[in-house]
Amino acid sequence: MSAATEEILEHLEAVSFVAGRDARAALPAVESLGEAATLRYLETGRDLFFYDREAGKGFFHATAELVRVFSGLDPWLDQARVFLTQRGTFRAAVGYFEQAAQVREQYGVAGEKIWYEEGADWIARHVDSAAAYFRMPIARLFGAYGAEELRTLLAPARELAKGRLGLASYLEGAVKVRAICGLDGVEDWAMRGRDILAAGRIRGEAWYKLESDEARAFLLEVLPGFRIGPHKRLFALLLQAWTGLHLPFEDGDWSVEGGRSFLETDGRSLFVPAVMPDREEAILAFYHTGAHLAFGSYDDEAIHALFREIGMEHPPLDADQRITWRPLFAQFGTDLLRFQLVFDILEDLRVDIAMEREMPGYLPRLMRAAEQRAVPPGVAGAYWREAMQLTHLAMVGQLPADLVSLASAEAGILDAFRLALARYAHTKLPSITLAERAAAFLPGHSPNAARPIYPRKHGQTDAVEMDAGGQLGAAGHKEKPREAPQQAEGNDPDMEIPPEDIQGTGGRVGVGIPMPAKVHGSGRGVQGPKGGWSYKEWDYRQEKYKDNWARVHERKLRERDEARAVEIAAEYDGTMRRLKKALQAQKPTRMAPLRRQKEGEEPDIDAAVQFVVERRAGQSPKANIYRQRRPMQRDTAVLLLADLSTSIMAEAADTGLRVVDRLRAAMLLFGEALVEVGDPFALYGFASKYHQEVLLYPIKRFDERFDAHARAALGGLSGRLATRMGAAIRHSTRQLLRSPGQRRLLLILSDGRPADYDDGGDPRYLQEDTRMAVREALEQGVHAFCISLDPRGGDYLPLVFGQGHYLVLPQMDQLPQGLPEIYLRLRGHG
Amino acid sequence: MSQSSHGDKALRYISEEPFYQPVGNELGIFMAAWGRRLPVMLKGPTGCGKTRFLEHMAWRLKRPLITVACHEDLTSSDLVGRFLIEGDETVWQDGPLTRAVREGAICYLDEVVEARTDTTVVIHPLTDHRRHLPIDKLGTEITAHPDFLLVISYNPGYQTVLKDLKPSTKQRFVGMNFTYPPAELEAQIVMRESGLDADRSGKLVQASAKARNLKDQGLQEVTSTRALVYAGTLMAAGLAPLEAIEAAIISPQTDDPELAAALMEIFTTFFGA
Repeated sequence: MSAATEEILEHLEAVSFVAGRDARAALPAVESLGEAATLRYLETGRDLFFYDREAGKGFFHATAELVRVFSGLDPWLDQARVFLTQRGTFRAAVGYFEQAAQVREQYGVAGEKIWYEEGADWIARHVDSAAAYFRMPIARLFGAYGAEELRTLLAPARELAKGRLGLASYLEGAVKVRAICGLDGVEDWAMRGRDILAAGRIRGEAWYKLESDEARAFLLEVLPGFRIGPHKRLFALLLQAWTGLHLPFEDGDWSVEGGRSFLETDGRSLFVPAVMPDREEAILAFYHTGAHLAFGSYDDEAIHALFREIGMEHPPLDADQRITWRPLFAQFGTDLLRFQLVFDILEDLRVDIAMEREMPGYLPRLMRAAEQRAVPPGVAGAYWREAMQLTHLAMVGQLPADLVSLASAEAGILDAFRLALARYAHTKLPSITLAERAAAFLPGHSPNAARPIYPRKHGQTDAVEMDAGGQLGAAGHKEKPREAPQQAEGNDPDMEIPPEDIQGTGGRVGVGIPMPAKVHGSGRGVQGPKGGWSYKEWDYRQEKYKDNWARVHERKLRERDEARAVEIAAEYDGTMRRLKKALQAQKPTRMAPLRRQKEGEEPDIDAAVQFVVERRAGQSPKANIYRQRRPMQRDTAVLLLADLSTSIMAEAADTGLRVVDRLRAAMLLFGEALVEVGDPFALYGFASKYHQEVLLYPIKRFDERFDAHARAALGGLSGRLATRMGAAIRHSTRQLLRSPGQRRLLLILSDGRPADYDDGGDPRYLQEDTRMAVREALEQGVHAFCISLDPRGGDYLPLVFGQGHYLVLPQMDQLPQGLPEIYLRLRGHG
Repeated sequence: MSQSSHGDKALRYISEEPFYQPVGNELGIFMAAWGRRLPVMLKGPTGCGKTRFLEHMAWRLKRPLITVACHEDLTSSDLVGRFLIEGDETVWQDGPLTRAVREGAICYLDEVVEARTDTTVVIHPLTDHRRHLPIDKLGTEITAHPDFLLVISYNPGYQTVLKDLKPSTKQRFVGMNFTYPPAELEAQIVMRESGLDADRSGKLVQASAKARNLKDQGLQEVTSTRALVYAGTLMAAGLAPLEAIEAAIISPQTDDPELAAALMEIFTTFFGA
């Protein structure tokens, strides 16, 4: 070691103990290159360290690997000096030192040069961009492409930098777009974005990060394959038919890995990709994922058993109380992916065999779909072939001896796990990288441990109920800002509940309303406003009515939004036209005459003959021998009662739309349809806060016209407070009894269970009261029918309204068109 | 004025045994009700065998069966009877209910909720210990024949939400619930009724079990045993399975394209593309 070398080392040590130690540790790898090289190396290291401590540390740590891969110091030592040219380059430098060796190995001398030059170029321009570039994992950065294509990918970014768009924003979107539509797509996408960026920086950034609707719309436009969006209902129906499951759908990732899109689940929702290669693969994906859910891959007990198997008492939970899988695979270290795939193949096989029992022909169908695809190249192909081979053997009933037990109906995920451990021990399947993994799955299959899981109760046919009323908002997933519930009037406060009453962990009422965990008495001490109508309420625990317990007040809705009403009318113009056309086509039926009337425009021949005959037979029949045609002659009167509780402000999981948006549209269409039909109708909304303050909001009474006033009120509809349904039904019944019409229908529109602040957290209490209110209504000749958006409505609606007296619309998009249609069917067309 | 009974046509006796496959103890319950002449109410979805069951019982009891399919415009005089003019005189004609009451037939009011509400008024006195039928227009009241039995049926589906029978009416009847039979029996029924082979009958039934999971998804009725029999019949007559299913099951059941696609997908799984 020369004196000059020693001098540098001492200098480093003097400045920092760490620097000296790291430099000495790195030195052996360099010394064999000769004295001059060692000196050159140390000088660069020293300069970097003095320039930026982190950059220097990265330099020394990576040395051994870099020297090995580059067989010396060139050109990386010179390349490293670029980080000395600007302030604050340490993040870029760290990324460079971490990845340079890997790039050299995978993409050769030329590839590494391009990778470096592209990044170095950004150091002068925008240091943060360079950092984002060098830190992006090279597997993602390069994708399935080479270095030349990397240049093409980055070319548009220079132009965009003039519009002050950093590489960080651009790269994230660009690699995704490249995965989805290839390099040409990137150019097109970047070009279009330039104008958007010029129009506004924030809008432009959202475009490049693929966060805005216009960016999503662009991708949907160019994406090849089968779009799932318009067919969500079909898949929901199929899933329900085969497995009895009805889970909410949420938007999945654009492309998970390597451009392949997967259907995933967290045990509570399905994450649906925008597109899949074709319809068949989409169907298989829904069946396969349904099979995982139905046959216990995500069952609470089974998952506990898995963790016990590796010696952990309780699976680790994340902040959302979901189970995280990682520890299960930790023992495999860097070979984790290989084991996961072996495990996935066996667990997939288990549920596929179970599915075959339910759905004969499922395995052959899977095989057909797999055979139509080319075996993926590279290591992924080995896994693909293994999965196909096993599926084929399962199909012909010739599974290898060690796997026969997977085919039994009793087999569970634990058996698959144990068998995977055994097979992994002597598997010849090659190691695989994350980038390669995506291609390894058969059509419709996907990584089973892709997401943390909300464990399911065994045999559960529906998603776990975390908070009633909140399920439309799908708590636990990314929360979007919500519109704050508006207050109906100054004196029916939402947020003005005394603070001591809102402490607690309830939260069953609506969304975002803190609910008392304990209620003192039954809302004792709360003084509601005077006046109104009082009604009895059923207490199932005492098995008797509480007289004059609930007090109903009629209030006017103050918020009006005429513009929104017009907007909605325009949006649903097509639907409205179709509906009106259908109604007009029915008009002859609708105008079916009232027979046997005392007066009317034409004689009723049957009645007249009977009259004559009976007269001649010596009787004195009534002269009801006319027929009448009047538009209002239909004998059905309907009152639509809409649940306006806070939960309607929640966003539905799969669309980001709120219930209230659909509710406004639905009620508007309903009103328009009813005007066309001519049936007497009324529109009411309701909400509640404690038993003494049940609020009914008349939007259109029976004797009022459905005019601009009512439409504006619908346009301004918003959610507030809770859902004391029983009292609302009793009051509506009273209104209906005063209406014209012999048949009286009370149509209730809701999105969750009845609940109120003072129900003591007992969901059964108000549910039982509602049941009684429905019964009382029926005794008085008012028929109640509930349309619910609650996907779990099937659990309690039959109890409350009775079989056949309710309907669950799991997709709220169906509501606007569905509501008038449902009414017309209830009422009977002809 | 003459009061001759106008119904000259002979009452309908069922001479050949209608095929009925019991699912539970419905024969026993019906026989017990018959023994005490208690009125019976058959509840159940479309096409699950209510009417067939009653035909079978009428055959078994060797009683004539008078069936009235109720509809919106059916009034009590349609049931009880009316005066007609014949030549120069007016003639009283018994309605189907009156005939059954007089002659001791089983009177079957199918889908009774469809009828106008005034019909229940004439039913009431027939359903309790009085067993009387008041005929206002004749100013008389007739006592039912000892073998008279009243049977009504209705389908507690959504169509009846507005027309549901009053609880007080329902309580006058012995209620019998009908549902679609268990898979094995249903397959036998399809086989027997349609002449289809066991394999395809079994598949039809298996597929419909899945299709019936979609019950709450639309207002539609679920796939009925009758629809399966129709599909089986068409298949036995040589129609391609999926064509038969489309024609006999899916098309009559729904106009909703997504639902139809879902149903088709389910049946295709069993009957191949």
